[in-house]
Amino acid sequence: MLDEQQIVAKVRTCVATALGKDEDEVTQEKVLSRDLEAESIDYLDITFQLEKAFGITIQKDELFPQKIFQDDAFVKDGVVTPKGVAYLREKLPFADLSGFQRDPKVARVPELFTVGLLVNYVKTKLGR
Amino acid sequence: MRYLLVDRFLELEVGRRAVARKCVSRGERFWKDLPEYPAPLVLEALLQTAGHLTRAALGFKRSTMLGKIESAEFPGEALPGDTIRLEVNIVGRRPEGNLCEGTADVDGRVVGRARFLILFMPPDREPVATPYVLDRRRRFLQAVGIKKRGDS
Repeated sequence: MLDEQQIVAKVRTCVATALGKDEDEVTQEKVLSRDLEAESIDYLDITFQLEKAFGITIQKDELFPQKIFQDDAFVKDGVVTPKGVAYLREKLPFADLSGFQRDPKVARVPELFTVGLLVNYVKTKLGR
Repeated sequence: MRYLLVDRFLELEVGRRAVARKCVSRGERFWKDLPEYPAPLVLEALLQTAGHLTRAALGFKRSTMLGKIESAEFPGEALPGDTIRLEVNIVGRRPEGNLCEGTADVDGRVVGRARFLILFMPPDREPVATPYVLDRRRRFLQAVGIKKRGDS
């Protein structure tokens, strides 16, 4: 069974491979989009890498829920509605939404997706 | 597809791997002034091989598109008269498409190597399957050896 350090190391390798970065640069606090320049297709690439590295299956929208950007009930005037926040909470139980809830602009949703969030996701997925 | 850069499929293991052949001719009209076959076309040949391999999983009923080139390198050159062997392995499979690794070599000498995502075309961007489109697709698959003559 992988320990936390091994999970972190493998996640960093996955992200570095998908984004063409040095692993040293891929630290847990880094935001995939803002700090590591991930674009939309890179999220799918990261999904491929995680599945392969950990032998897991990740359903569509399980890790990177796109519906938050597409459903009018979840966003109004550029702000995530309480229903949208509830949706994020349901989809991302491994994410810390406390900071986001104080200023739930939809433009801030990508900032939730850090390397650390991926580590937490994998830990949850592996039952850790 | 504007440039058809795969001449013959030698092996096709649906969902796993494909090996194809590309014969290099100086007569190709998109070959400009370079002495060697342009590296982007070596890459395109690998991508086309991967595209057909990906489409084979759904009976060639869906189109594919390039999602992303994760890495690519061209350690050697192919020259007129060379036969490029194109090998593509699927290293990750998802409903959206495949993560693939491809190697192009001439007599065992690697001329291109790449890792990339091939995705299924979203349904709303699929070309309409007119009789003309279906016939052209069938004739292409026969020409490159994926289907036999007489197959539908």
